Amino acid sequence: MENGIPMKNRIKVYRAMHDLTQEALANAVGVTRQTILAIEKGKYDPSLELAFKIARYFGASIEEVFLYDEPTEDL
Amino acid sequence: MLKITYSGCTMKRNTFYLLIGIVALVEVGIFWLSVRLEAPLLIQIAFILGVILLYLARRGVEETIEDERTVMITQKAALRTLEVSWVIFFVLSLGSAVIAFSRPLGLRPPRPGPQEMFPTEALELPVFGGFAIIQMTLLCLMIFLYVGFRVYYARKYGEWDTDEEQD
Repeated sequence: MENGIPMKNRIKVYRAMHDLTQEALANAVGVTRQTILAIEKGKYDPSLELAFKIARYFGASIEEVFLYDEPTEDL
Repeated sequence: MLKITYSGCTMKRNTFYLLIGIVALVEVGIFWLSVRLEAPLLIQIAFILGVILLYLARRGVEETIEDERTVMITQKAALRTLEVSWVIFFVLSLGSAVIAFSRPLGLRPPRPGPQEMFPTEALELPVFGGFAIIQMTLLCLMIFLYVGFRVYYARKYGEWDTDEEQD
């Protein structure tokens, strides 16, 4: 998680659906395997470009793969 | 128009890391040789050639070794190193300035003149060796700082995380 923004993603689910390893996905989108792992674990939020690349690779929209949890304000 | 393209040999990522180690060892050897031969130009040229060799080798690595996350880690570590380094450099420079201004200001005489007029130690050449060692110490401090920050940010952004797919 970067800057405290709660960003979640469903990359692991999509990888399982497509029977894809982290290494294969990393090679497909042009990053290292550690970057895919860091994104899956929520330790790194990808750039918009990389997020689009990943989503398009799975044939999904960016909102289906990446979820932004709006922080709720306590009244 | 002439277009220069790189068509060097390709290599695996681990081969590249091995090459870095070999180049570092060779540089240490050349440094020793340079000291023995009293030829500073030797290590200076060897260091530049080593950097060029690694730069070209890096371009020939087949696998992805750098992406947006690694670039971000490098940027953050470099920025933090710069922030700390400028404070250290400035503090040292302030100390040097105080020493310099504590003495009578003015240029040294262009010619020694009669021996009895000036103390001989005032006419000695600057001690370049001592300056080089201070410079090298500061450089080493910067490198240690950079490595420390890099390890911190690499850990923060999951560089050494493992999971079930780990080999």
